[in-house]
Amino acid sequence: MALGSGEVGIPIYSPVPESLYPLLAVLLLTIGLLLTAFFFIYEVTSTKISRSLVQEFATGGAASVFLGFGTLFLLLWTGVYV
Amino acid sequence: MARARAMALLLLLLVAFTLVSTSAGSTSTFNVIRADRKVDLLTQVVRISTAWKVENSGTEPASEFKLALSAAQAERLAFIEVVIKGKGKNAAVVGLPVVDVAQEGSVTLYTLALPKALNQKETATFESYVALTHQLKPFPEEVTQADAQLVKYDDSAYILSPYPIKTQTAYFKVSSPRIESFTKVGTTKVVDTEVRYGPYENIEALKSKPITLHFENNQPFAVVEELVREIEISHWGNVYVTENYKLANKGARLKSTFSRFEYQARPGASGTSFRHLHAKLPVNAHSVYYRDEIGNISTSHLRSDFRKTELELEPRYPLFGGWKVAFTLGYCVPLQDLVFKASDGSRYLNISFGSPFNNIVVDKLILKVVLPEGSYDMSVSVPFPVEQGQEKKYSYLDTVGRTVAVMVKRNSVLEHQFKFVQVHYRFNSLGMLVEPLMLVMVFFAFFTACIAYTHFDFTLSKSSAAYLAQLQRDEVTDVLQRLQKLLAVRGQAEERLDASLKEATRTGDVAACKAARKAADAVWKGTSKDLKTLSDALESTVKPVPGKTSSVKSSSVLTKVESLLQKEKEMIEKVQQKQTVIVDAYERKLNSKEIDSRIAPVQEKLESLRQEVSSLISSLDD
Repeated sequence: MALGSGEVGIPIYSPVPESLYPLLAVLLLTIGLLLTAFFFIYEVTSTKISRSLVQEFATGGAASVFLGFGTLFLLLWTGVYV
Repeated sequence: MARARAMALLLLLLVAFTLVSTSAGSTSTFNVIRADRKVDLLTQVVRISTAWKVENSGTEPASEFKLALSAAQAERLAFIEVVIKGKGKNAAVVGLPVVDVAQEGSVTLYTLALPKALNQKETATFESYVALTHQLKPFPEEVTQADAQLVKYDDSAYILSPYPIKTQTAYFKVSSPRIESFTKVGTTKVVDTEVRYGPYENIEALKSKPITLHFENNQPFAVVEELVREIEISHWGNVYVTENYKLANKGARLKSTFSRFEYQARPGASGTSFRHLHAKLPVNAHSVYYRDEIGNISTSHLRSDFRKTELELEPRYPLFGGWKVAFTLGYCVPLQDLVFKASDGSRYLNISFGSPFNNIVVDKLILKVVLPEGSYDMSVSVPFPVEQGQEKKYSYLDTVGRTVAVMVKRNSVLEHQFKFVQVHYRFNSLGMLVEPLMLVMVFFAFFTACIAYTHFDFTLSKSSAAYLAQLQRDEVTDVLQRLQKLLAVRGQAEERLDASLKEATRTGDVAACKAARKAADAVWKGTSKDLKTLSDALESTVKPVPGKTSSVKSSSVLTKVESLLQKEKEMIEKVQQKQTVIVDAYERKLNSKEIDSRIAPVQEKLESLRQEVSSLISSLDD
């Protein structure tokens, strides 16, 4: 089990270069927040009858994917390595 | 039956016992030809290096050699290493592993495995290196602020060994020329700052001759009573290191009170107190913090270049004998510096075991390696004996908790800084997606809740007037919205036709104009039916409200819509009329002035209708 002196492991890097974290955080969160805004505008302007469930879930889903990954990169950018 | 079994057991025990006793008997087959011991008493750690030349005096080939330490030393043994140094420049150093530790009376025996068995009369040379803590006892135990510190060291003039030693010497190197006293045994002399014992000839096995050295030692006796090093790996590119120190000065205790004046006035003369600690951090360490329970401690300096990162800390107050201070040191190291992928696909963390501080003694070092969530197949390899354990830790965005490898070592010294431990584990790279997906799920849950809130009906009394009015309002708004959409479509068709008419008056392209008319007509025809159904729907939703609730507002909507539709229809008729006139005029080849005069009244009417329609449409929103 002990590591032989001859064996040299390959360093493991982060799958996303760390220099991209700020850019990704800002970009993904902006898109996410815009989609969220669109979602809520749709929610308040449409009535019970005209609301389309598919559209609601599509916007909500897309917004949550962008917000989720955006939040992750925001955490990583600020030094909270999850 | 039972009797037979008992007999068999007894026989087995007997066999085992004889085996043990023969193996124990075979140990005394060595003869130490020469042993030179050098004891380093310069710091608070006692470092004993001994050069051995041994001979197999028995008849059987022997492959195990034993070193002995007294009980007091064995208890405080921090580090033991035995190596065979080859001759020449590039000779490899071969380590002799300690394979067994056994207690025999007041002596602890460390069994070493020789690289190859020694035959009769064959010799071998090797060097043993032992580091012991807490062997220097301050004497006197209490000193004043300005006093130098005197310490006592107890040892034996003869090397404690389970084998007879032919020739031996012992050199004790002390830190200052001020030697108060030392025990004389045979040939004993002081050379500079060294006390030399021996050579002694033909000392039998396990014989000891107690000696005591009493000398000055002003080195700081910085002892960490407990150090918890926590190393947390994140595959997103970082390794956190957090170290919690409970530091004490275990030198001679300070007598009477502390005088700040004296301390400031004569900075050099403050005995064994100390105020600086030096640490060697990993080269790329960053985000270093140094704090305690109160908060950040600003008295620290970090120096780093491409080769090293060094930290100099000052505790909140100078530490005199018996004083204590607790603090936390933390830093981040890039993932690629510490975590590697082995050839078999597993990953491992390779990190220095000891504390990064120089010249401190750690009584109890607890190393915790927190693996990323979802790691499995953990195994630890440490080049020296430690207590091992495993626990769970919950950190950022955790569900099942992270596996923590715990290693506990009592008595740790500087040497452990250069000893690396490897924690091997396996981890599926897709596991890194768990955390972001968890965040996505949280947001998605929020959106789903919003959707559910707008879709479900939370009204308690379904028959209340307000509720019914709300329902009706919703329906009306819905119909109106659809109506508006439809009107927008019709309006666009009208605009397109009008544009093509303008184009026609300029270029005289009648065919395009006709085609546009056709297209617009198709749109109008197609939508007029929908328009009718919509206005009917509106009528039906507004009408059947029971009782008084047929409000002024809803009926006004109805009239508004009716008039709007009326006007819209008129407008379209006018556009059609205008188109007919223009096409007709062109076919009869009338000049442009005549055309203008013909369409002028139509145009006028059209403009006014357009305005009315658009104002009505926008008033529908109210």
